[in-house]
Amino acid sequence: MSVSLALAIGTLTGVGLYLITARSLSRIVLGFSLLGHAAVLALLTAGGPPGEAPLADKTTPELTANPVPQALALTAIVISFGLTLFLLALARRQQILSGNDLVEDDLEDQRIAVRAEEVDLLDDQQSDETQQAPGVSS
Amino acid sequence: MILWIFALHGAAMVAAALLGRSSIRRGMAAAGVAPLVGAIWAISQLQGDNAPSTEEIVWVEQLELVLRFSTTPLALMMAALVSGIGVLVFVYGVGYFDDTAEGGARFSTTLLGFSASMLGLVLADSVWTLFIFWEFTSVTSFLLVGHKNTYPATQAAARRALMITGAGGLALLAGLLILADNVGSTSLSDLSPASGTRGTVAAVLIMVAAATKSAQFPFHVWLPGAMAAPTPVSAYLHSATMVKAGVFLVALAGPAFGDTVSWKVLGMAFGIASMMWGGFIALRHEDAKLILAWGTISQLGLIITVLSIGTGKAVFAGVSIILAHALFKAALFCVVGEIDVRTGTRNVSELGGLSRSMPIAFAVAVAASLSMAGAPPLLGFPAKEAAIEAVLGLEGLEQLIAGIGIFGGSVLTVAYTTRFLYLVFGPGPETTVAPVRWAMTIPSAILAMAGFAGYVFIGWVNDIVIPAATQVNPASDKYELIAWPGLKTAFVISMAIIAAGLALGWVIANRTQEAPDARGANVADRTLDNVLILADEVAGRVQHGSLPVYLVTMILTVTLAGTIFLGDLDTNGWVAWDSPFQAILSATIAIAAIGGVAVGSRLGAALTLGAVGVAMAGLFLTHGAPDLALTQLLVETIVVVGFVLGLGHLHRRFPPVEPTWRMIRLFVAIAGGLVVSGGLLAASARPVGQAPVEALQEGSVDPGGGNNVVNVILTDMRALDTLGEVVVLGAVTLGILALASTRSTASNR
Repeated sequence: MSVSLALAIGTLTGVGLYLITARSLSRIVLGFSLLGHAAVLALLTAGGPPGEAPLADKTTPELTANPVPQALALTAIVISFGLTLFLLALARRQQILSGNDLVEDDLEDQRIAVRAEEVDLLDDQQSDETQQAPGVSS
Repeated sequence: MILWIFALHGAAMVAAALLGRSSIRRGMAAAGVAPLVGAIWAISQLQGDNAPSTEEIVWVEQLELVLRFSTTPLALMMAALVSGIGVLVFVYGVGYFDDTAEGGARFSTTLLGFSASMLGLVLADSVWTLFIFWEFTSVTSFLLVGHKNTYPATQAAARRALMITGAGGLALLAGLLILADNVGSTSLSDLSPASGTRGTVAAVLIMVAAATKSAQFPFHVWLPGAMAAPTPVSAYLHSATMVKAGVFLVALAGPAFGDTVSWKVLGMAFGIASMMWGGFIALRHEDAKLILAWGTISQLGLIITVLSIGTGKAVFAGVSIILAHALFKAALFCVVGEIDVRTGTRNVSELGGLSRSMPIAFAVAVAASLSMAGAPPLLGFPAKEAAIEAVLGLEGLEQLIAGIGIFGGSVLTVAYTTRFLYLVFGPGPETTVAPVRWAMTIPSAILAMAGFAGYVFIGWVNDIVIPAATQVNPASDKYELIAWPGLKTAFVISMAIIAAGLALGWVIANRTQEAPDARGANVADRTLDNVLILADEVAGRVQHGSLPVYLVTMILTVTLAGTIFLGDLDTNGWVAWDSPFQAILSATIAIAAIGGVAVGSRLGAALTLGAVGVAMAGLFLTHGAPDLALTQLLVETIVVVGFVLGLGHLHRRFPPVEPTWRMIRLFVAIAGGLVVSGGLLAASARPVGQAPVEALQEGSVDPGGGNNVVNVILTDMRALDTLGEVVVLGAVTLGILALASTRSTASNR
C-alpha cells in the first residue's frame, strides 16, 4: 500500500492521541476530530487501492474503487461530526459554569484516594503512640 | 411437580412479605405453607420404589446451561429434611417472636427464600444448578445472620460468614468446572470417577468448598458468630440444613472421588480436626447456643470423616448420621431458644433447675441428647453403631486414625452434652420462667419424637437411607440400621464412649472456668479488614482520578498489544504513493496536524483543523470517492465555524503544561502513531478480498434506481442504518440545544 498514506494516518493518530490526553476540553475535541479522520482514512485504505468513482454509468467494474468502505466511511464522517459538535457544546458549558474548560479529576476517585491516605495517617499515628509509650512510663 | 413447588415458594414469599409487614408472626405462618407442601411431596415420593424423575428448564442447550432437578434417593431424603424441618421452624418462629419484633417481612421472606434455595440445592442435577443454589444459600444465610443489622457484632459475624462461605463458593465453581471437564458430563446423577492431576485438583477444591460450608476446621470460625441470628435461623440453617450442604456435597461427589487419595486424606483431616477441636471448645463455653454451635462443628466433622473414608459401610453410616443429626440438633436448638425466650438468658451458669419448671423442654433435651450421644432407643444409636462398625472394618493406620478420632470426638460429644444438661436442668437455684409458648414447644417435641420414631420404625428409615447411601457407594446396599445388635464389639465401644463422656462432662460441669475467646474469628476479621485497607490503598494509587493518566495508560496498553502485528511487516507491495497528489495531500495533512499542536492559540488550532479537513477531502477525491469529499467539505466547514463560535470567548491561549508530563504524552502519542502506521502496512501484506463491485453496480441500477453506487448503498441497501444515523444527528441537535441554554441558568444564579 501507499507508504505516504500510512504515514499520514499514523501522524493523525499520534497527534490525536496527544491532544486527547490534554486537560483542556477544546484540545480534546480537536484530538477526537483528528482520530476520526485517521479512522476514516484507515477504513478507506483497507478497502483496496484507489480507483475511479463508483458511478455505474461512467465506469467499468474493473476500474472502480471499492464502494463498500466508502459507504461505511460516509456514515463514520457524519457520526464523528455529530460527536465533535456535541463535545464542543459540552466544552462551552463547562467554560460557562466553571470559568475554564479544563477536565477535572474524578471526584469519586479522589475520595477513594483520600480515604487511603487517611488509613495511612491512622497507622502512622498508632505506630507513633506505641513508640512513645515506653518513654511516657519511664 | 418440582418446578411447581418452586413457584409455590415464590408465591409464599410474596405473601410472607405482605403479611409480615404488620406482624412477623403472620409472615412466618404464611411462609410455612410452602415447605409444608414441599415436605408432603418429598415424603410421598420417598414411599415405594419410584424411579428418579427429572425436570429441567433449558437455557442454552449447546453449553449445557440448564436448570435441572432430579429426584434421586439422596436428594429426596435431603428435601424431606429441608422442607420438613422448615415447616417446624416456621411454626416455631410464630412462637419465638413477639408481635413487636421488627423486620417481619424481611425476615420471613428471607428465611423462606433460604428454604427454597436449599431445596434447589439438594434437588439439583446439573453442576451449574447446584452452584447457583449453593450461592443462594450463602447469601440468604448472610442476610439472616445479619438480621439485627444495627449491632456491630452482628454485622461482623454476617460479613465473616459471607466471606468464608463465598470464598468456598468460588472454590466450588472452579472445582465443578474442572470436574465436569474431567468426567465429560455436567450431570450429577451419573458422575464417573475423576482421574489424573486435574481430578486431584478438582477433589481438593470441592472438599475445601464443602469444608467452608460445613464449618470445618480451620474454616469453622464463621459458625459461632452466626449464632447472632435469631434462634429459628440457628436451628434451621446452622444445624439442620445449610451446614449440611457441605456434607451433602461430599456425599454427592463420592462416586467421582471415591478412589482419589487426596479427597480421602483431606476429608479425614478436616473431619477429625473439627470433631476434636469443636468438642473441646464446646466443653468450655457458657452460652448454650455456642455450646451447640461448636457441637455442630464437631458432629459435621464426624459425618465428613465417615463419608470420606468411603467404604460401603462408612458411607451408609454417614448418610444415616445426616438424618439423625438433623433431627436431634434442630430439637436442641429449639429447646435453647425456648429457654432463652422464657428465662431471658441462655448462659448455662445462670440457669438451673429447669427440669421442674420446663418439663417438656427437659424431656425433649434429654431425648435429643441421648440420640446425639448414640444411646438407645433413639435413631442416633444405630447410626453411631454403624459408624463404629465402619471403623472396625478398616485396617492398619487408617483404622487407628479414624478410630482415635471418632472415639475421642464422641467422648467429647457426650461430655459437653452432659455438662449442658446438668447445668441447665440439674440441681441448683431454680430460674423463674415465663408461661409456656406451645408454638415453640410442639415443634421441638415433634423433632425429638421423630428421633424416637426413627428407632421404633427402623425399617422405614432403612427404606430411605439404604437407597440414598447406595447412590453414593453401590457397596452400601449390603448394610442396614439395626435396632438391637446384641453385645457386640461396637456396642461395647459405644457404651464405653458414653461412660467416659458422662464422667468427663460431670467433672467439667462442676468446675468454674472462663469461656474461651474467639481467637479464630478475630484473626478472620483482622485479615478481612487488612484486605479492605489494602484495597483502598491500591485503589487510591491506581484509581487516582486523573482522566488523562487513565487515557495514557490505556493507549500504552493498546499500543504494546498492537506491536505484535509489526512482526508481519514486509516491504513487498509497498509503494511510496499511488499518485503525486496523494503524496502532497498526505504531507499537508501531517504538517497541518502537527502544526495544530504547535500553534498556541485556539483560533489557530481550529484553523489548522480546517486545513486537515480540506486536505482530507482532496485525498478522498484522489481515492475515487467524490461523495466523501463533498460530505467532508461540508462537515469541516460547520465544525470550524462551530469551533470559532462555541469557543469564541475562551482564553486565547491554552494553559501551560508540566514538561515531564508533556514528554510522557508525546512519547505515548508517537508510539501509538507508529504502531498504527506499521500495523496498517503490515496488514496490507495480507490479501484484500475482492469487492463484489459488478453485483453492486447492477443492483444499484436495478432495482436501486440510481447510478451512484455509494448513494444507493446508503439509501436503499442499508437504509435502516442511515435512518439511525439521522436519529443520532437529531439527538445531538437536541443535546446541543439543551447544553447551549446553560448560559441563562448560570446568569440567573
